[in-house]
Amino acid sequence: MLSGLLCTGLFSCEELDNYDPPAETLKGRVIDKASKAPIQTEMGDRGIRLRLLELSWSDNPTPYYFTCMQDGTFNNTKIFKGTYNVVPQGPFVPLVQRDGSGEIIVDESQTVDIEGVTDLTFEVEPFLNVEWVGEPVLNDNGSITVQARVSRGTTNPDFQQEVTEIALFINSSSYYVGDNNYDNRYTVRITGAEANDALGEVVTLTTQDSFSMNRDYYVRVGARINYNVEGAQRFNYNESKKVEVLQ
Amino acid sequence: MKTLRYQTLILSLALLLTVPACTKLDVPPMNIVQDDDIFGSANGIASYMARMYGQLPIEDFRYTPRRGFNHFWIIDPFPTITGEALSANQGSAETEAEYYWEDAYRLIRDINYFIQTLPTYMESSRFSQDEVNGWLGEAYFMRGVTYFALAKRYGGVPIVNEVLNFPEQPIEQLQVPRSSEEATYDQIAADFDQAWELLPEQNQMGRANRYAAAGFKSRAMLFAGSIAKYNEITLFDHENRQLCGIPSERATAYFKLAYDAAKLLEGHYSLYRNRWEAGNKEAQYQNYVDLFFDAASPENIFVKEYGYPESVHGYDVYNIPYQFQVAGYSSSVNPTLDFVELFDGLPKKSNGRIDVYDDAGKYRLYERQMDFFADAEPRLRATVIFPGDQFKNEAVEIWRGIYTGDVAGGIDPLQAEGSRTTYENSSAASRLVTSAVPQQTPHQLPDGTLMNPAGRSGRFYNFAAPALTGFSVRKWLNPDMPAELVVENRSDQTWIELRYAEVLLNRAEAAYELSLAGEGGVDYVSDAYECIRQIQERAGATVLSSPSELTSIDIIRNERRKELSFENKTWWDLKRWRIMDDEQNGRTYRVLMSFYAEQAGRWFFDDRFEERNSIFTFDTRWYYQQIDPEELTKSPNLVQNPGY
Repeated sequence: MLSGLLCTGLFSCEELDNYDPPAETLKGRVIDKASKAPIQTEMGDRGIRLRLLELSWSDNPTPYYFTCMQDGTFNNTKIFKGTYNVVPQGPFVPLVQRDGSGEIIVDESQTVDIEGVTDLTFEVEPFLNVEWVGEPVLNDNGSITVQARVSRGTTNPDFQQEVTEIALFINSSSYYVGDNNYDNRYTVRITGAEANDALGEVVTLTTQDSFSMNRDYYVRVGARINYNVEGAQRFNYNESKKVEVLQ
Repeated sequence: MKTLRYQTLILSLALLLTVPACTKLDVPPMNIVQDDDIFGSANGIASYMARMYGQLPIEDFRYTPRRGFNHFWIIDPFPTITGEALSANQGSAETEAEYYWEDAYRLIRDINYFIQTLPTYMESSRFSQDEVNGWLGEAYFMRGVTYFALAKRYGGVPIVNEVLNFPEQPIEQLQVPRSSEEATYDQIAADFDQAWELLPEQNQMGRANRYAAAGFKSRAMLFAGSIAKYNEITLFDHENRQLCGIPSERATAYFKLAYDAAKLLEGHYSLYRNRWEAGNKEAQYQNYVDLFFDAASPENIFVKEYGYPESVHGYDVYNIPYQFQVAGYSSSVNPTLDFVELFDGLPKKSNGRIDVYDDAGKYRLYERQMDFFADAEPRLRATVIFPGDQFKNEAVEIWRGIYTGDVAGGIDPLQAEGSRTTYENSSAASRLVTSAVPQQTPHQLPDGTLMNPAGRSGRFYNFAAPALTGFSVRKWLNPDMPAELVVENRSDQTWIELRYAEVLLNRAEAAYELSLAGEGGVDYVSDAYECIRQIQERAGATVLSSPSELTSIDIIRNERRKELSFENKTWWDLKRWRIMDDEQNGRTYRVLMSFYAEQAGRWFFDDRFEERNSIFTFDTRWYYQQIDPEELTKSPNLVQNPGY
């Protein structure tokens, strides 16, 4: 044991790391090209994520990813100083597109020197616009009825695949409600042809079963199309709303 | 300083005595097996082979998506995430949680070492050319199987066909980048072709012969053709190698390779029909049960054997219905009604859903539960245990409750169609007697006899596992295993990894795809029809009467889902057809609950969404699995799959 202690004692280093920690900031937002409104998303890697390629030392670096906040903004205060190629990936027409042989045919990524505070805005065409129609209605039996309209957010025919799902997400825990955080006892969804037929129409969705009237709930509507962005069919959302049950 | 002098003397003596001995120290270490020991004798080679076969990525009784290969605990196998079945601890869609990568390349290295070293021992060990060819053929077969296990998970992977050495080689040479998915499948085809050339007609049980190589090739090429045709996810590296996705113009070529490889087995294998009799459902059912247990089955092409006590698994203990439980486990695989509805011979509505009502909208009543399944396809009965059917000379007691309400004028539906509420929380609760747990209080029927509110094998409303869906799995369960031996690590039935039924289905699917692509030369539709006809006839299913009835690829796909269910194949089929995201898009699976109407002394069945209300949504990222992030840190040349 003594020798063990000696070993660790001898080889452990008293000094702090001789490199400075990353201290630059990359912040900004992903907004709708048409309305300039921020793109609503979910937190986590099935929402909007930013891909960073640090080109300072390699033209083929391992990518670094971080994700947007729910309101389509991003803020990372721990970036190393350097030259980066930045592109957001989410439920909108991809900013970098390749043809069948891998040649890049569209490239709206941004290459910037990140130093101090770098602020970037990306204008995108969402696959779908999801809007509230009226306010959510609390029913007596412990359910909520909402109305929403889902419409195309892009005129690009390559990104107008059928709508595969429209869902009313609900939880009782936080404003951050969506496919990443919902209560499956009450959440309702329409899928398949029924979802696609609802495109452009006002859809009425009522949560299923009946919930406790002793707490408040958060709801929002999400919809997705049959197109994979980085492998995943990502949801477009409207803004989440709180439904006050407790007065 | 006298001691010092002695020490010097001893030291010099020691040096004097040991130094000349040094030349003799260059002997191989006794505790490490040397190449001579392995490649110098047929026994040595057999031991090397046994190790490679043992590590071969076969998704058998000991594979689950949560725990990977060769694990003893096989709760939650593939069928519980494909929709074939539900398990009590499976509440949402999942993908494989284990990374199969490091073990694959370790095995590939062993195979490459074998291929490289064996020929150098041919003369000194006096092996014949035939022996050496056979062994090399097995090595190429195993390499093809291993690359395919990688490709079906990850797409294009690094191809390493020689032994890499570290530290002799610089690290840059060891960081092999991924090949394109297309090149990976071409490598797999080449390995199986080489195996086909080298392997003998027959081999020891559990080892590959040339037909195993051809059969696996048909499986792999069908996979490649499906990716080329149906995949929509692409990934290119910085040199524009397509790591995910295959150019669609290659689809036809791959389907042709699959078709040709499957055809090589024709005349050498056949469907198991030893006890099959035309028009005799009982015989056809027994035949289908036996097919998984007869070691001499002419249908088995490549198997993995087990033997108690050296090599065991626990299939029986984890899947036995609850009433047979002795070791604390049971019923982890409960077939869904959605799966059961794929089969013939059940009362169904025009939309293919089960029909439990009469024309007046009341429940149909049955004297015995099995009357409901009287005309069911024998293959289904051999795959799924029906409520009330016999197993190990006992009736399997599965029911949800006793209906105590009035039966005059018929019984109305317990709940509105599409309801997700449990029976206990519904308005029907007052007319039902049910049980929360297996320890139940018998209920007195009107005639004074006692009856359990729920069957001994389920379903209990606070203990979801037993007969969660109203069914229990039967396929692979050993019908002759004494009840007291159904414990963990005690089962040893053989896993049939590749049987001729799959080869026929590969051939039918490839042929039909070729006909869709307008390929001529062979009457592909008739060929596909003949394959399907054989499968349907043996199954006791409704047989298509002519090739003109083969109107859709879905007929072939459904036949495959039925025939190869619970064999860990459906997961890969749903993935390669790229329909898993349609199958599981906010999906809640359905169940069939049976009730005893005490006033009528009859049974009725209720179909509904399963009561836990589990929702399955497949994440399309899972079409290509995540590569272990740890591997990415070892090589900057390794590119992660999309979305991870």
